[in-house]
Amino acid sequence: MKEWTKQHILGIKDLSRDEIELVLSQAQAFKEISQREVKKVPALRGKTVLNLFFENSTRTRTSFELAAKRLSADVINFSSSTSSLSKGESAVDTVKTLNAYHPDIMVVRSVSSACLYDFDKYTQASIVNAGDGQNEHPTQALLDMFTVKEIKGTLEGLNVLIVGDIRHSRVARSNIFAFHKFSSQTTVCAPPTFIPYEFDKLGGVEVSYDLDEVIGKADVIIMLRIQQERQNSSFFPTIREYVDKFALTGARLAKIKKDCIVLHPGPVNWDVEISSAIKDKVHPLILKQVENGLAIRMACLYLVGTNKR
Amino acid sequence: MKILIKNGTIVNADKIFEGDILLSNSKIISVGKNIPESADKVIDAKGKHVFPGFIDLHVHLRTPGREDEEDFLSGSKAAAAGGFTKIFCMPNTNPAIDAESIAQWIIDESLRLGVVDIYPIGAITKGREGKELTEFSALKRAGCLMLSDDGASVSDSLLLRRALEYSQMENLLIVSHCEDIRLSGKGAMREGVISSKYGIRAVPDIAESLIVARDIELAKYLNKRIHIAHVSTAKSVEIIERAKKQGVKVTAETAPHYFTLTVADVEKSKFNSNFKVNPPLGDDKDVAAIKQALGKGVIDCIATDHAPHSQAEKELPFDVAPFGFIGLETAFSLTCTYLVKNKVIDLGGVTEKLSANPAKILGFKQCGKIEKDADPSIVIADLNKKWRVSAAGFHSKSKNSPFLGEELLGVIEYTIHKGKVVYSGSNR
Repeated sequence: MKEWTKQHILGIKDLSRDEIELVLSQAQAFKEISQREVKKVPALRGKTVLNLFFENSTRTRTSFELAAKRLSADVINFSSSTSSLSKGESAVDTVKTLNAYHPDIMVVRSVSSACLYDFDKYTQASIVNAGDGQNEHPTQALLDMFTVKEIKGTLEGLNVLIVGDIRHSRVARSNIFAFHKFSSQTTVCAPPTFIPYEFDKLGGVEVSYDLDEVIGKADVIIMLRIQQERQNSSFFPTIREYVDKFALTGARLAKIKKDCIVLHPGPVNWDVEISSAIKDKVHPLILKQVENGLAIRMACLYLVGTNKR
Repeated sequence: MKILIKNGTIVNADKIFEGDILLSNSKIISVGKNIPESADKVIDAKGKHVFPGFIDLHVHLRTPGREDEEDFLSGSKAAAAGGFTKIFCMPNTNPAIDAESIAQWIIDESLRLGVVDIYPIGAITKGREGKELTEFSALKRAGCLMLSDDGASVSDSLLLRRALEYSQMENLLIVSHCEDIRLSGKGAMREGVISSKYGIRAVPDIAESLIVARDIELAKYLNKRIHIAHVSTAKSVEIIERAKKQGVKVTAETAPHYFTLTVADVEKSKFNSNFKVNPPLGDDKDVAAIKQALGKGVIDCIATDHAPHSQAEKELPFDVAPFGFIGLETAFSLTCTYLVKNKVIDLGGVTEKLSANPAKILGFKQCGKIEKDADPSIVIADLNKKWRVSAAGFHSKSKNSPFLGEELLGVIEYTIHKGKVVYSGSNR
């Protein structure tokens, strides 16, 4: 297998298929660690991981923090609510300031799309994207792939259906690019207001406005979280109408392929994107994603942290 | 002081010829062959091209308010280095140029500094808020020739109608920044595959052309003049071309970045904030249409939309950084490199787009040409020389240019204004 050479993980766009496979196999190796009694290996001992979160997040940050700790790295969390950002310091200044501590890895979450590409001008650390605006959330896509591969045994030739707020979703973008690299086809299904302009020209994406029409073909369904405030900005008239057209309900669940799997990046708005009546059926796998997310993040930190470039 | 320019290739819009130019501080005394060397200063322009001083209808000098980004002196020096001898500064300052006293002060400062002529563009509405008209007569009295709320579009169609009507009384030209602000929203770049791919909030091209169409309809209905600022899209060009054929009194400008850069360059720059501008950079079709429109005269002139921003502002992420980049010092060379070299326009076209047509729009009868009794503002350039754009080379206080590092054709060696050398390029 190919050796890992990337300094950063900024997005799925810049990863090759080989590199994705390397992350997945590394994660497979790490998954077992979290089931041990002593949940720690010295893989990143002496390394410093900085969780730099310019946008609130507890789940992703926790996952990265735990991943770093299980690899014996020293972890520092820096989030905008406890930082000087509110005093007008720019993100670039923050990165420069924290770089003075010589971190080995910076895990960055940002509200601005595509803002990480030039961060390497300001730090020698490896940068791992923990979600940049509406651009990418690579570790989420990787954990989704890991989960799919674990169950399906393959990532190729699948019909992936992503339902919900595609426009504002970094999860959707990263998954589309990821599955496309494995010759799987993604269909995005949402009200037209949630589909970005010329999205069908992106490559590997089909667009549907009718969930009932496409749901039966899917091998993997990824339900996205709907932010209720979108209702106020005319993306859709009411939650009621959205639920009627696009929620995963018991009736729709009955139409999916027998071996189709349903994923959700969490946290779920029950009875908005997924009916709580089918919670027992879909929730276990969503929780499995969380577990896999830890292994994926351990793999990402390990690969960039031990990369001998 | 008298200056004699010897043996240059004189580039008027309609004629290119070899000759000497003798000028004083008030006018060009004579143009011809072998003028006797009786001047205080003689410049040998053999092998060089000599243009009438350029006129920029659209700059931001940030003063008053953000003198850290540009002030009248640094802006004047940047203008002189770029061959511009008359520049028109937009009123999006703090406070806005919406009152006689501020406009008068700018003209006084321009005269006091004595580098180039700075003309204030008055605001159409108080505070550029798009609500109440400013005192057009008072602004005219102070020296304004044009009015604009640039940076903001006058969204209220009735208010713009009133402005177009009322401005006629003072022969003031309304300059329209065309943008449907609801459609553009918080967009940071042109909407298309690239914005969709990176999840960046984006502006559709029709955000411009919708308002271009509205403004032209208003001008046509009222039979009034209107000038369209920074035209950036193929769709706007189409509308302007149709209107001109119908005889609507519309003139238009574009900026150098709209015939040189596309949204693909934004992606290539890795979303460097130096590539963020309003209206945003378009696609290949837009660039082709803008070039064609310049060639055919649908777009009358090139204005820079010189927009200085501090380094801290441009270090902000792409989606929140302010719009615009500096342009005074690169406009001429970009015109040479991207239009003349590619035969989109000829050398006479350079004079036409940067000097003669802006002069015509303003009614400056003595500007935009080199002949006896004309305005003694001259640019001498070496069109065979190249230079590399660098932050250190800029005279502007701000360094935010998307062309940093690029090698451009056409070096300005002298800029003469009112019989005085205001820039000489020996230091470049």
